[in-house]
Formats: sequence, structure tokens, C-alpha cells
Amino acid sequence: MTEVSWSRLGGGDCIRLTGLPAGAVVQVRPGPAATGGGLPPMAGQLVRDGADLCFVPRFAFLDGTAYTVTVEGATAVTLVRARPDRTATTEITDIRPTAAEVPCNLLRLYVWFSAPMSEGCAAGDVRLADDGGDTIPGALLPGEHELWDTSRRRLTVLLDPARIKRGLAGHREAGYPLRPGKPFRLVVDSGFRDAQGLPLRAGAQRRYKVGGEERRHVDPASWLLTVPPAGTSEPVQVAFGRPLDHGLLARCLHVAGPGGELIHGAPQISHGEQAWQLVPRRAWASGSHQLIVDPVLEDLAGNSVSRVFDRDLSCPNDEPRQARPVMVPFRPR
Amino acid sequence: MGEFGLRAGRADVRSAGPITFGPAGILFLADNAAAKVFAVDVADLGPADESGPFDLENVDALVGSFLGCEPSDVVIRDMAVHPLSHNVYLSVQRGRGDAAQPVLVRIGRLDGSITDVPLDDVPVAEVAIGDAPAGDDERLDITLPLGDEGEELQVGERTIRILRQPIRTSTVTDMAYVNGALLVAGLSNEEFSSRLRRIPFPFSDAATGSSLEIFHVSHGKWETTAPIRTFVPYDGGASILASYTCTPVVHFPLADLQDGAKAVGRTVAELGAVNQPLDMVSFVQDGQEYLLVANSAHGLVKIACRDIDAQSPLTEPQQPVGVPRETKDLQGIRRLANLGDNHVLLLQADNAGRQHLRSVKTASL
Repeated sequence: MTEVSWSRLGGGDCIRLTGLPAGAVVQVRPGPAATGGGLPPMAGQLVRDGADLCFVPRFAFLDGTAYTVTVEGATAVTLVRARPDRTATTEITDIRPTAAEVPCNLLRLYVWFSAPMSEGCAAGDVRLADDGGDTIPGALLPGEHELWDTSRRRLTVLLDPARIKRGLAGHREAGYPLRPGKPFRLVVDSGFRDAQGLPLRAGAQRRYKVGGEERRHVDPASWLLTVPPAGTSEPVQVAFGRPLDHGLLARCLHVAGPGGELIHGAPQISHGEQAWQLVPRRAWASGSHQLIVDPVLEDLAGNSVSRVFDRDLSCPNDEPRQARPVMVPFRPR
Repeated sequence: MGEFGLRAGRADVRSAGPITFGPAGILFLADNAAAKVFAVDVADLGPADESGPFDLENVDALVGSFLGCEPSDVVIRDMAVHPLSHNVYLSVQRGRGDAAQPVLVRIGRLDGSITDVPLDDVPVAEVAIGDAPAGDDERLDITLPLGDEGEELQVGERTIRILRQPIRTSTVTDMAYVNGALLVAGLSNEEFSSRLRRIPFPFSDAATGSSLEIFHVSHGKWETTAPIRTFVPYDGGASILASYTCTPVVHFPLADLQDGAKAVGRTVAELGAVNQPLDMVSFVQDGQEYLLVANSAHGLVKIACRDIDAQSPLTEPQQPVGVPRETKDLQGIRRLANLGDNHVLLLQADNAGRQHLRSVKTASL
């Protein structure tokens, strides 16, 4: 009588077969017995361990998957790889922007999770919905490419650019996905799986009011700077006059001191993404400082310092601006 | 393989991305998690070309069975056909989350057999494709963490926790090898731009290639850029046809892609609203070159290259928009590849989500 069970061999998982007739042909396939017809066996090796034979898989057994073992073509047993009994702990920690109102040509949102996530859920578990709870169809960029940061904790959510860019079929036929005066919510369902395969503790949503189009360059010359006194570690504060992209703000603004050296410190983006500040690690020197603005910095609608999202060729204001960093001088008092 | 700079080693692939064949049967694999492209000698010496069709039903279930997982845990990221043996290669992500594992799967052209291609102790070369921050931009990736990760920093009397990690990533959407260079299209998780990177091959330590932004004009009125979703070289590599995430089909000569110069492609067609281009391939029928575009919503579109060359830039909205095209009533096509000169191989998903390899004669397209 053959006994088949989960076991270990050489530090790895295996399926152990005891009491097997000599020379018997053993195969393993994922799934219940009925699905095996015509499918190739799972890659692995049969290794003799004393009187037992062990199936050592080339690719690790997956939790929650059933494996059917056949001996001489007949099903011996189906073993189910248990899923560890864990409770959901992963949460949504932030949804950006936090601005209360976004332009109707909003391009991008970010969702932050408290733990690394699985890929493959964004299309089904992230949506835009109206105040009645109905999904706004065709609003988000469909596609196979989910945009994660390296740690898979921040998901970038793009609205379909074809519906935002003027002149394209998507925009002409379907219009903006968002309408001025019609609030909407970004909804993340709790079914979104974390990297352990568990759902979220709870879904989350953020509601936005919708304003008109935003088609202007991001213009550092129009920003309002609050300049700290020299000799203190008070922050330099920058007010943009409109919300900018949270992801890009985190890396596009720097401060250089009188000698051109970068001022190190703690940057902070305000709630609403309309302002940024830097608390310096050391007290401000006197003399001329520069706020250095990377020209890729965008607003919520994809307009950057160097170019607008789609340029109206007949509009002189839309002409591309310099691709080099923009310097905004200030002098601690 | 020394002539291409490949050395015995391990292709330490962390995630399965787009694949394409280069010279001498070398396969390029994009790894978006590691921000690298690997060039691997897949040691596929034959058999010689078989010019017949090749079809394999339920390829996801077959591959899943070999890999020991359910079909739902088989994510086929890309498909390529070896130029000589015509064996089929699939870039597969097996499992999800922390359990996910990239596997390069080879399907035998003659018998449909499934194997995994070894990536250990093989001739390999690699190149980084990340937008690495400049040396003095140490702060670029600093954020205030939301949990207790990162490191503590003393600022005056305050203790602040900071996190240094690459937040900005670039995802390869498509690749093609043309005349000694690998062309790589990508999608940033932050800024919205159209980058086509040209990486000389053999890879060099000194340069990761040039990065070009290709603008296009809609109806003579709006100039814009967008990430390239898929592209295909044609006309012997002299021309590129690229399809964007916002669906215009844009033509540009490869010679226009001079480093630092502003490149403006010619919009020759639009593929329609609420639709995404998924893959492209070129093929020859009756001595004429044609392009096939697989779409998420609008079936398989066939365009004659001579019509592209004759198409003036779109200046007015028209219906249908741009070059003449035929739409084939083939739904669910996710990937395309040339299977010899006489067939195009399709990776097709049916209504139930099961995936199949199906070949169609170029003469019938």
C-alpha cells in the first residue's frame, strides 16, 4: 500500500511516497485529479530517500494549490497545499493627491499600501466611481503594465490619456472621464491582494471635487517663497498656487547653498500638494540660495515646467520651455 | 558568444518582462523589477525550419501543469519565436506576490513539448535601464516613510525618519533589435513621457545608450508625447511604427533618432477610443510588407506599409482615421510573432480567459 504525504528533503519541500513498488512511474500535476488529462507532469526529480521515493519539484509548491500524484498512470492521491492561516493586516495608508479639487483633465493618482502588494489586481480592484457609487467606465488606462515602485507599496493609477489629450479619437468620442462639477471617488476594493496573497483589512476611497481644465505650464516664477531667517533651522516654504504631482514633488525640488552645495534636510509636501518645505539639517547660512526645480515636475494634469501635456501649436504660451533645471533665488534674512 | 560580449554566468532575472530575439539567436529579456535587460544565449540549435502551422490549445494550462501551478497563476508577459528553430518562447511570471517567479518557457515547434530555459551558467550579458539618479542626487529618493521603515535622522532637536528607496521606476513595454542596437520603449511610474532608448549591442559598460523623446502631432493642431506601448521596425529596420498608450500610430525613420535632437513622428492612424494597442508584427504578402496590430478592443488591424509611406500627416479628424486598414475578426489577441515567412503566431485568449497559441497563414491575412 503506497502512502503519499507532504514532507521535507534536503531543506526543501517534497512529496514523499512510501511503500512504492520498485520502478513505478510517478507523476505530479497541479489541480484535482479530473483536470490532469493531456497535461504534462510537473517538472521535478524523483529522489530515493531510504525506502521512500521523494518528488522534489523544480518550482516550489504554491500555497492553496492542489497536487495530484499518479502512480503508473492511476491517481494515488490529491494533496492540497495548505494556505497559512493568517489574518489580513495590510492597509491603504494614503491616496494622493489629497487636494480637495482636481482638474477635469486629471492624469494620475497614487495609492500607498502598508506592505508590499501582488501584481495583477489593479485592473479589477481600483476604479473611479461617481457619488452614486457607480463605476465610471473607461476612465482608467487599461493595460497589462501595473506601475509600482520598487517596494511594490505605491501604485500609480493613470487615467486614460486618450480621453484627456485633445484631438484624439478617445477624447472626441468619449470626452473627459471626469466632468466639472461632478464629484468622483477613487475606490480601492478590499479584494486587492498583498504580496502574501491576503486581501486588505479594508478598502478605501477618496472623494474629489472636479474643476475645469488645467493646461498651463508649471511656472516656478509665480511661486511664493517664505524665506527663513539666517542662523535658524526654520523651513523654507514654497507655495505653488495649485496642486502639483505628489510623486514628482518628492524628487524634483532641491535647495543649493551659497557655494552651490545641496542643502540636506527633511522635505515635506503639504496636505493638498499646494506647498513644499525643507527643514535644513543645519542652520541656514546667509547669502544667496537657490531653489532648484527639475523641469519634469508636473501638475495633476501632466503639465510640466518644460512642456504642457498637449501643446496647442497655435498658442504661443504653449511653446516648450527650457529643459534645464529652473533656479529660484532666495536669501535667508 | 564572445563576439557579443556574453560570458558564462547567471541571468539573475527577478521579474518576467518583454522578450525579443537579437543576432545569433540571442534572446533579450527585460526585467522590470531589477531595471535591467539581459542578453542570453538560449542554446537553441534547431531543428531546422518547419514551414507548417503550429497550434497549441490551452497553452496556459499546459505551461501551468509543467510549472506546478493553476492556469490562473501563469501570467504570460510576452512571446517570441526563435528565428531559426521556430521554437516558441514565453516570458512567464509564475505565481503572484512574494511567491512570484520568472520563468523562460520554451515550447517545441515540432512536438509541443514544454521545458524551461536554464538561466544559470549560460552565456549572458546585462545592461541597466533604470533612470539612475546622478551621483550628487542622493536625496532624490528620500521620502518620509509611512511606517517604521527607513533610518532616523536628527534635524535640530527633532528626530525624523527617512526612507531611501527607488520610488521612481521605469517599466519596459516593448523591445526590438535593429541594426546593432536594442530599442527599448518604457513607461515611467511618475512623469508622463515618451522615451525610446537605443542601447548599442554588444552592451558596453560605458554607455547605456541614448534616450529620445518622440513627439507626435494630432490633426496638425496639438503636439504631444506619450509612452510607447508597442512598436515594430519595418522596411529593413529603416522605419519604426509605434503605437502609443493614447492610440495614435506614429511613423518615424530610425535615422531621425539623433541623440539630443527633438524627434517628431508622423501620425498616420488612430486605433479608436477606449482601446489599447497590445502588439505589432510585420510580414510580407505577395511581395508587399504589411503590419498587424493587436488591440484590446478593436480586433486585429492590418495596414499596408505602402499606405503608411503615402499617408500624409493627419491634419483633420476623419472617420476612419488615417491609413486604410482592414480589421480581422479575431478577438482576444494579446501577442503576435512571426513564425517563419508563411505564418504569424497569435497568443489568443478566449471568452473564458483560457489562452491558446494559434497560427495563421500570412497569405490568408
